[in-house]
Amino acid sequence: MDELDPVIHASARLKITATLATLEVGDQIAFPRLQELLGMTPGNLSTHLRKLEDAGYVDVVKSHQGRTPATYLALSRTGRRAFEDYREALRGLLGESA
Amino acid sequence: MDINKAHSGTDLDEPMGDPREMLALLEEQQRRVADAQIAPVVWLYFIWGVAWFVGFLALWSGDENGNPWFTIPAAVATPLFIVLLVISIVSSAVIGLRINRGVRGVSSFSGAVYGLSWSVCGTAFGLLGTALISHGMSTDLANLYFPSGFALMCGTIYLGGAALWKDKSQLLLGLVMLVVGAAAPFAGSPGNDLVFALAGGGAFLVTAAVMAVRLRRNR
Repeated sequence: MDELDPVIHASARLKITATLATLEVGDQIAFPRLQELLGMTPGNLSTHLRKLEDAGYVDVVKSHQGRTPATYLALSRTGRRAFEDYREALRGLLGESA
Repeated sequence: MDINKAHSGTDLDEPMGDPREMLALLEEQQRRVADAQIAPVVWLYFIWGVAWFVGFLALWSGDENGNPWFTIPAAVATPLFIVLLVISIVSSAVIGLRINRGVRGVSSFSGAVYGLSWSVCGTAFGLLGTALISHGMSTDLANLYFPSGFALMCGTIYLGGAALWKDKSQLLLGLVMLVVGAAAPFAGSPGNDLVFALAGGGAFLVTAAVMAVRLRRNR
């Protein structure tokens, strides 16, 4: 039986990666919009994003819109692959074919 | 393991054992993201549906050969139609910009081209009509050309949008618009206005209603 990726296998981080996986490859999403889609507090979201970033799953791009700093996020290639593997592993455990 | 330590007393960080629950959570979240993008589109279709339905019914009722039950003054019908059109165009621009807000990158190009195509195509179809009028196209013919030109433009752009976003609602509406735009002139003027109101406006309103019901069911 495949080990489920512990980085993704926690509900908050699963929701985050699932949301980021809906973005087209090459797109990034602003932190506030991601927060809105997840219904998480900024602190909670930041904590989990840091863990995903540390694992190399999420790319964080800090930029400026005018004078306001803006943070944009996207799954890295590794992250997208890890998410897809995780989903396949879940389906495998449930006996569903890919 | 450090990454599984609960954060600020919530259980969000706890690993969950049940794969079924996790898969459901994954799918529910992705559906929620999709729904967040669909919800504004429902409003767009509703606003356009009202504009087509009410606007074209007004034009039809503003013509003495139109509505057999009652006539409204053309001085009311035409401005009403234009006001509804302007409201719809402005709402489309505002709502359109909100749909993908907070997202930047490769899809911004598609969105920008799609958004621009409305104003560019609208101007082109409008200019063609103006040129035809300046070369002697009668008011009767102009009454056939403009709404059909508009419907054909909507249909074509919707097909593009359907291809771009794999969006079946745009595919359906695009095809309806093309059929309505091409067929309505056979009804003559002002009969074509009634066709646009019922078939065009109706298609928008039905699509909006079906999508709204589906969204509610997902909640």
